[in-house]
Amino acid sequence: MKSEDPPALLFLGLCPAIAVSVRVIDALWMSAGVMLVLLLSGLAMELLSRESSGNEARHSFDRGSPAARWMRALVVTSFLTASFEAGLLALAPAASAALGIYAPLIAVNCLVLGRGMPGTHNLPTRRTVVGLLGRGIGFAASLVAIALVREALGAGTITLFALGGFGGTIVIPMLVEQPLRALGFAGGGLLCLGYLVAVSRAISRRAAANPAGGEAAQ
Amino acid sequence: MTWLVGLCLLPAAGWGVFLFGTPALIVLAVSIAAAILAELASTLPFGRFTLRDGSAFLTGFIVGLLMPAGAPACVPAAASAFAILVVKQSFGGLGRNWMNPAMGGVVFALLSWPGPMSQWIAPKGGAVQGAVMPPLEALRAAMAGPGAKETTPLAILSSSGFTFSDLDSQVLGWINTHVFSPMGISLPPGTFDVLIGHVAGGIGIVSVPLLMLGAWFLLFRGIIRWHLPVMYLGTFAILAAVFGGLGSGNGWFAGGPGFHLFSGSLVLGAFFVAPDPVTSPMTNKGKCIFGIGLGTLTFFLRFFGSLGDGVAASIVLGNCAAPLLDRWTSRRVTGTQGGAA
Repeated sequence: MKSEDPPALLFLGLCPAIAVSVRVIDALWMSAGVMLVLLLSGLAMELLSRESSGNEARHSFDRGSPAARWMRALVVTSFLTASFEAGLLALAPAASAALGIYAPLIAVNCLVLGRGMPGTHNLPTRRTVVGLLGRGIGFAASLVAIALVREALGAGTITLFALGGFGGTIVIPMLVEQPLRALGFAGGGLLCLGYLVAVSRAISRRAAANPAGGEAAQ
Repeated sequence: MTWLVGLCLLPAAGWGVFLFGTPALIVLAVSIAAAILAELASTLPFGRFTLRDGSAFLTGFIVGLLMPAGAPACVPAAASAFAILVVKQSFGGLGRNWMNPAMGGVVFALLSWPGPMSQWIAPKGGAVQGAVMPPLEALRAAMAGPGAKETTPLAILSSSGFTFSDLDSQVLGWINTHVFSPMGISLPPGTFDVLIGHVAGGIGIVSVPLLMLGAWFLLFRGIIRWHLPVMYLGTFAILAAVFGGLGSGNGWFAGGPGFHLFSGSLVLGAFFVAPDPVTSPMTNKGKCIFGIGLGTLTFFLRFFGSLGDGVAASIVLGNCAAPLLDRWTSRRVTGTQGGAA
């Protein structure tokens, strides 16, 4: 599995991805959380690794073993996720209630998405940020795409933010009376995820087979 | 071969059309047409023409047979299209699908549209009082309520106010007075209706005798082997007989397996769908284990589940295990080490 393959990476963070993609708005909140935590934890890890590689290691957990790096990433990501959760609870209680148990799982998604990124390569900070942003956007796009398909077909509605006169929910006529409810279940989520992976694989294979796209994978 | 299976289902389908009239014919036509259109739409762009293998027709046909006659046309159409496009063609077409397409489509419809999937039509000549329901659904409704303190499914139905046809009472009255009363036995009302399939239900699954007729032909011609259906129905019957009465508070050995064998899509599933060569194990041992598994799953889903009569869902679940069963039960080629030789 290539690490630049966001939907395939979704398999690893599957549980929250399936659970929060029933409504578009939940997927948006989840995406926001993942992007925020991913970016901040990446930056923090970058600084930490720079600090510890510059000097002699002062603590045992500063030694550059993979386990130590994982422990650091775990602590940093968990802390940031917990902060995001607390912030969400204070500022947007409804969203916090909708995400429920899946908000803490943002930590899992971020660990998976940020895998191998900070602290292992000696990349300049700017490239780290750009790389993490790219992964976050890829994750968000996949999640929102799945949520759009599942909510539009599975419930006949599209739930967004309430803004002014707009109530927050777009109702699709006809479909709302007899929606394809099966897509709203976990199985339907896996189905959409499968198709998304298939499409992205097909695109990347086509890009690899096409010599114009760089070095061909022979 | 696929066409022959379709032919064997014709008597049961004809009975359904006779009982439920034009709506049944429309549902059947729509589901077959949708399956064929979906097959064309998914193969013609790739330069293939696969209608001649009959699999799209059979899938649409079976989906239609499992539908209630009163279902709005979009439900069988969507179920057939889902079966062909998602369950079959997404995995590479006939021979590469791991799940039986027709059952996948039916489960999709059951999950998505539980309301339209229970719009039953009263059979011709049947007594209509209150909501029209197949006996199995009525039994489940009665058992969910309080005070179902009868010992057999038919007795529970009678005491819950479920009515059978006049024909049933006439035939049973004659048989009881002339044949059984000297022996001190009396057949409960509904026996005749359930036996010949003169009840509400899925278009092609109400008539068990006509389905059995087609099944005998398949067995006789060697298109299916006996292992899977016998194990399936046997396991289900034993489990239903022993444990079936526990739900209604009647204790052990009070399940009424006869009633359950004759209701729902059990016979269609066991003889026409589960032995599908693509999605069932190839070895005889594998078929036996597969049948036992399906019988157990169907028992649990029917008696404790909520998704239809449990047959479609259990076949779909069982399909997942078919490749594993093949691996476990296939003979090893002498001189090799792997099981999947």
